[in-house]
Amino acid sequence: MDKALLAFLIIPLFAAVLIPFAARYRPRMADILANVTLLAGLANLAWLALSPSMIASEFANLPGDGLSLLLVGAIYLVGLCVTFFSAWFLDENLPNRPAYYSLLLVSVAAMTGVVTSTDFFTLYVFVEVLAVTSFALITTDESFAGVEGALKYFFLTFPASALIIVGLAILMLTLGSLSYENLRIFMSSDIPAGPVTFGAALIMLGFIIKSGVVPFHAWTPDAYQGAYAPVSAHLAGIVTKISGVYALIKMATLLRFFDGRAQALSEMLMFLGLLSIAVGAIAALRQKDFKRMLAFSSISQVGYIVLAAGLGTPLALIGAVFHLFNHATFKTVLFLNSASVERSAGTTDMDKLGGLEHSMPWTSWTSVVALLSTAGVPPLSGFWSKLLIILALWESGLRTYAVLALLFSIVTLAYFMVMQRKVFFGKKTAAAESSPEVSAPLLAPAIVMCGLIVALGLLFPYFYTYLKVVAERIII
Amino acid sequence: MNLLLIPIVLPLVSALALLLMREKTRYLKEVLASAAALVSLLAAANIFLLPQQELVYSWLGAGMNFTLRADNLSAFLLLAVSLFSAAISIYSFSLPAKGSSKWFFFNLLMTQSFAAGAALADNMVAMLFFWEGLLVFLYTFIALSQDTAAAKRTAMKAFLINGVTDLCLLVGITITGYIAGTMSMNEISHNKLTLDYGWSVFAYVLLLIGAVSKAGAFPFHTWIPDAAKDSSAPFMAYVPAAIDKLLGIYFLARASVYLFQLNGTMSLILMSLGAVTILVAVMMAFVQKDYKRLLSYHAVSQTGYMILGIGTLNPVGIAGGLFHMINHATYKSCLFMTAGAVERQAGTGDLSKLGGLFRAMPLTGLCFLIAAAAISGIAPLNGFFSKELVYKGALDTGYPIFFWAAELGSFLTLASFLKLGHSVYFGSRPEELKDTKEAPFSMLLPMTALAAICVAFGFGARLPIENFIGPCMVALNIQTPMLSGFHADKLYFVSVIVILAAVINHMLGLAAGGGKPSKSSDHIHYAPVLKEAYALAERRAFDLYEQSMDRVVPVFSLLLFKVDRFFDWVIDTVPSRATGFLSGASSRFHNGSYPLYMALTLAGAVIYILLAAGNGGLK
Repeated sequence: MDKALLAFLIIPLFAAVLIPFAARYRPRMADILANVTLLAGLANLAWLALSPSMIASEFANLPGDGLSLLLVGAIYLVGLCVTFFSAWFLDENLPNRPAYYSLLLVSVAAMTGVVTSTDFFTLYVFVEVLAVTSFALITTDESFAGVEGALKYFFLTFPASALIIVGLAILMLTLGSLSYENLRIFMSSDIPAGPVTFGAALIMLGFIIKSGVVPFHAWTPDAYQGAYAPVSAHLAGIVTKISGVYALIKMATLLRFFDGRAQALSEMLMFLGLLSIAVGAIAALRQKDFKRMLAFSSISQVGYIVLAAGLGTPLALIGAVFHLFNHATFKTVLFLNSASVERSAGTTDMDKLGGLEHSMPWTSWTSVVALLSTAGVPPLSGFWSKLLIILALWESGLRTYAVLALLFSIVTLAYFMVMQRKVFFGKKTAAAESSPEVSAPLLAPAIVMCGLIVALGLLFPYFYTYLKVVAERIII
Repeated sequence: MNLLLIPIVLPLVSALALLLMREKTRYLKEVLASAAALVSLLAAANIFLLPQQELVYSWLGAGMNFTLRADNLSAFLLLAVSLFSAAISIYSFSLPAKGSSKWFFFNLLMTQSFAAGAALADNMVAMLFFWEGLLVFLYTFIALSQDTAAAKRTAMKAFLINGVTDLCLLVGITITGYIAGTMSMNEISHNKLTLDYGWSVFAYVLLLIGAVSKAGAFPFHTWIPDAAKDSSAPFMAYVPAAIDKLLGIYFLARASVYLFQLNGTMSLILMSLGAVTILVAVMMAFVQKDYKRLLSYHAVSQTGYMILGIGTLNPVGIAGGLFHMINHATYKSCLFMTAGAVERQAGTGDLSKLGGLFRAMPLTGLCFLIAAAAISGIAPLNGFFSKELVYKGALDTGYPIFFWAAELGSFLTLASFLKLGHSVYFGSRPEELKDTKEAPFSMLLPMTALAAICVAFGFGARLPIENFIGPCMVALNIQTPMLSGFHADKLYFVSVIVILAAVINHMLGLAAGGGKPSKSSDHIHYAPVLKEAYALAERRAFDLYEQSMDRVVPVFSLLLFKVDRFFDWVIDTVPSRATGFLSGASSRFHNGSYPLYMALTLAGAVIYILLAAGNGGLK
């Protein structure tokens, strides 16, 4: 474990235990405790990474490899947005309100564990904890669709866990250890890889399934669509990314894709990435449901990260990490907005929606910012990460991949334009007639995230120095 | 400010100031425009009297300086441009039929400014800049002169014809500059280009097209008769009659004599173009039934004399061409002014409805008589002397056919003016015109001034030839022999014969037309072969623009439309169908069936494991 960040794991876990007791008679205490815990954590993190002395020294004194710090920041950010949103979104008479917040905090703690672990077994344990909390969270409102989505998630990711365990066993047998460091040292030596890479490949397959890469994506649309609205944002924004995609990036650095070891694995990963981009984008074009379209968009965006991770060059990894972070910002905004629309208009069926921009201007325009960032329109943050990924592909001579990635970025814009027109622009429909703008607290997370999208886009040069430090540390 | 800039900048600034004024102000716009034109005229006279001046600003780089250079020819041209601008702006003072007066004077001053720039520019790129500016204001001038759809259509016609030929000029100037290695006309003239190789012939022909189209020669003239109907008299008196002729012939002379050393073939081509222009246009003019339209065909026909004169390439002919240019501008402006005056006072320009106006409008009639006599080449008015020079030049080339063509043109010119004058000013006055009065002073003043110039340049032909045309020839680096003087030689007698023939023809026509002067051309109009030819011409069968608009353009547009639809289909319909199909298929696939999903996942996993094991895994 990375001990510098241990507190960020322990404290939410402690708060999760505390909440059921504290909120026993006053359910509102659960909201307050969860929010305060995450806000305090976020403030602490911000000070760690962004104190003036840190910026002045160009992030030379970052604890750990910098990647964990960045991702813990993303986890806390999304977690805070979701808890804050939930505090005003949840039904007053929801019976298991304290449980909901406890689960959210446990999930935050588990994700922190995932990104701070230094060996595969710890990683596996936290990923499983995360999976269990996710099943429970999806079914928060006990709707039929939620239960169905949770079951699909469970049954389809169950083989993934099995594969990871088998992979771990092979790795243990051949390498004698499960720590990242040993694998890294092994891969940089000249010993023929053999079964070690096979074991790694199995572990990787497990995480590929968990991140919802095509053709293992089938559970994501159902799970995201069926999940309780704020939980969709939590799941799509950060949980699946941490439980799957993060591990893929980590493996890409450990297996040293950039110097040609495990070449076949690298190529397979890139192929799957491009397949995800294509299938996700094309499938999203014709979706009728707001949340389901966002789910397919999520598959497509995960494709970009996986593609970059598969390439594995420093530039590509910077792009992958940055895109992971950006995905957390823009997808959270879009899912939270879909929750607002569901609350206000009573449906997420895009054929029944329309003309919401008049009554819900803030929701409409935060969506525009987020979707433009997703499509990679300058100067928003999504533009820079996509640019880095495409540049890295081009520089490595993979022209076809670069051009296709660019083309599907246009398709991304296309389906989001369809979404924006059907939901927010155009004529008012019956459903839109009686849908007022949601209250300010519900808007606040989306607005903060939009501010972050714009700020990261405009201040990209500073952020780039941070990412360069990260890339230098994780590729040794 | 440098003196050279005043004739360009002053009208420009005044034109912009005009836009700030309200349409309702009385006489303010007129006074401002006339004052600007008059001050420019003074400046132009000053420039003309001073020795040669030059003004150089570095401009586009690569040898393209903004150079204004007032050599004798340019200064003379500037003087002429300013003179006509002043005359027209005074003439238009109280003419209601010129459209919105704000926009009229705006266009007038803008045209003046750009014409002055084109006359003075030494660098061909700078000249082209001003030249193209004229094109813009040609369009607005016509389009805003009447509030009708026909005016817009004619404006578009003029714009397209001149736009295409200006494009030729642009290409020609580019090639010329490339071959010569410089864009400065002055520098090129020190080392003239010859027509020995293809590119330079091509370049010269393009310059030629640009120049003669500006001058309104056949076959680029077709918008002028239309404009006569669809725009105002002052516009006709100003642009097609004066400015366009001046600039077109000026640049034709520059290109043919100053920039290029032409050979015999090109000279023949030029002379043929001139002769054809004279005859085609005058034949059309002869049968017209409208005052301005008849004049407009003559404006085309007279261009032929200038082109013919310059095409002879001998000093006498060139001097004749240039002299005819200034003479033509004078009398044709004057004629259009009389047309405007008659239209204003009598309310129509239709020859069959006019008659006997000489009593009512004696001064206008007198001006018409002088100008008509001048255009018909009756001694001793200015037109006679310039035509005589052109004839002499044509005879000197050894191809008498051009001389006869020019004389035939002269005959028809006189015949048509006999008809015109008789129909408008003599004969019996119709009942409706009993109360017609003389035109106002502001219209009479420029008219009489121009008529006076016609007389002065005729009786004292030595003066303009020595003071204007002689220096121009010096500027073009041509050695000139003795040019002026009244010679009672055989040319004079030929012209007397032509006059007699025209009078006899008019008598015949009157007799055949039942004594009605407006029908005195019918015996030629409806002569056996000519009847069909005229009928075709009336249907615009010989109008390149209308023909291409009717035949070529629709086919071409349709083709382009189809090509566009094809590309639209390729980049729009095909991808959207394909993605629509794919996403529809994927929507149907994601039907929520758990076994299907599980099967897919397992199949994917198996393939992945096999591949991972095969490629370097378990070997």
